[in-house]
Amino acid sequence: MNLLVGIDIQPIDEVDSSLKTFGSRYRRLLFTDRELETCGDNSRTSSRLAARFAAKEAVLKILDIQEVVPSWRSIEVGGISDCRPEINLYDVAAELARLQGIRDVFVSFTHSGGVAVATVVASAWSQSEGLSP
Amino acid sequence: MSAIDDRIREVLKEHGRLPIEVGSLRDDDDLYEHGLTSHASVNVMLALEDEFDVEFPDVLLRKGTFQSIAAIRSALVSLGVEVS
Repeated sequence: MNLLVGIDIQPIDEVDSSLKTFGSRYRRLLFTDRELETCGDNSRTSSRLAARFAAKEAVLKILDIQEVVPSWRSIEVGGISDCRPEINLYDVAAELARLQGIRDVFVSFTHSGGVAVATVVASAWSQSEGLSP
Repeated sequence: MSAIDDRIREVLKEHGRLPIEVGSLRDDDDLYEHGLTSHASVNVMLALEDEFDVEFPDVLLRKGTFQSIAAIRSALVSLGVEVS
């Protein structure tokens, strides 16, 4: 089994600025309905979306991306709160993970001091181990 | 420099958050090596859509599309934007 680690940092003010400039186009390009519902539309929305964007980028860093790039919406931060988030992969992201033998993906993030930081850890099983999903 | 390049550079200046002067960039300079982040590239893409009245299809939503001014110009031309 191999462990894969990805990390990313995202300034919160940049997300706030993008929300104000591009509104729903920005939201719909990057985030799933579930993420948007979870993050709401209030004073904490920018920081929570920044954490989710950082998580998506952290996941992209552990995927072996070749020609076809996963969309941001194919990597979803689920879970009902920021305390116990989980990663859901769909479409291209899910297929890349499957090809790499990635079984579990764990994420932790924080948002404070003007930035959001996310760390992702994944376990990947090789075919020879006979444990590939 | 063509009109399309001027408009691309204006978008980069306003939305690219690059730590260097956009005017100093050559057409084939790697924008990511010059500080373009993934998040900023999202903003650049959305601003380009507004500026040129186009929509980037999923197939163009990749890092290489925004790698350089020349790459952005090529993508826009593929979407029907005229160079002049």
